[in-house]
Amino acid sequence: MLAPKRVKYRKKHKGRMSGKATRGNKVSFGEYGLMAAEPAWVSNRQIEAARVAMTRHIKRGGKVWIRIFPDKPITQKPAETRMGKGKGNPEGWVAVVKPGRIMFELEGIDEQTARRALDLASAKLPIKCRFVARDEQL
Amino acid sequence: MTMTKSLTATKREGSGKGAARKLRRSGRVPAVLYGKDMEPVHLSVDAKEVEHLFHVISVENTVLDLRIDGQKGSHQILVREIQSEPDRPQTPVHIDFLRIQKDVEVDVEIPVNLVGVPVGVRMHGGVLEQIVHELPVRCLPSLIPESIDVDVSGLDLDDSIHVSDMGVVEGVEVTIDPTRTVCLVAAPRVEKEPEPEEGEEAEAEEGAEPERVGEEAEADADED
Repeated sequence: MLAPKRVKYRKKHKGRMSGKATRGNKVSFGEYGLMAAEPAWVSNRQIEAARVAMTRHIKRGGKVWIRIFPDKPITQKPAETRMGKGKGNPEGWVAVVKPGRIMFELEGIDEQTARRALDLASAKLPIKCRFVARDEQL
Repeated sequence: MTMTKSLTATKREGSGKGAARKLRRSGRVPAVLYGKDMEPVHLSVDAKEVEHLFHVISVENTVLDLRIDGQKGSHQILVREIQSEPDRPQTPVHIDFLRIQKDVEVDVEIPVNLVGVPVGVRMHGGVLEQIVHELPVRCLPSLIPESIDVDVSGLDLDDSIHVSDMGVVEGVEVTIDPTRTVCLVAAPRVEKEPEPEEGEEAEAEEGAEPERVGEEAEADADED
């Protein structure tokens, strides 16, 4: 699963997900892409599940790009713990995704297969997504 | 030479976001026309008309005939920039038109079409990867190619085509590095099914924290 190799700080602030994706909002590498329509934290498990769903559907042939990386640590307090006593322990990693972000790209397959593969991938993600093709971009 | 299509625009009075938003609400898109030896002209175009037009033509390299309401004659233009919202890439919010002159060279990007199925894909299950989708060129407006077709049917596994291998018409100068790869046939990568891990090992791996660098790591080391 995707996770940073080295980090400067173990814990990060929660942050806010206002606005739209100002970078990574074009299909740049492949022919087809999956665009986020909502803001969300996408965990490394969800990214991995989406990748597996896509690669299993396209089988041989085709290339997949993952355009998001889970570099934000998520903390959680142990069960049955009283509030306070500081921030919880790091438990996982998420990518902060804003509307317009291209999360996955595909190349080397026909449009119908790409649509189905990205549809399967979007079912693993916590947000509404949209299929985009490179030639539809202005 | 690309076909010439026409577009009608109207001069707009107001400027700034308030006027622009008002225009957009009324079904028009703010635009600007500029070029050598002319003052920029603020325009607006019909949103439906441009959306339809941009889906019919190759936007980057098509010379358009722009008619402005209330003016005689027309301008030969290229679409220089289309601004859009990141989550709605097909809806333009502002368009830049560049007025071109017949005897002045322009920089445009020409779509690259790959023709045929490579041997490496057909026989060996390789993946055809296109790296350069649009080729930047400089030429006179009358020589702008509609597209550049590249025959890839002879490519085997690990073969590639570079910019220098592409034939372009005389008078058209390619403005990127000629050694850049346009497309290649990559060997197929077969996904291996990972063996199921033992419960404890899997948990240990997920819980593992990455190495820390910088001030925080040093501070922790001092405490120890």
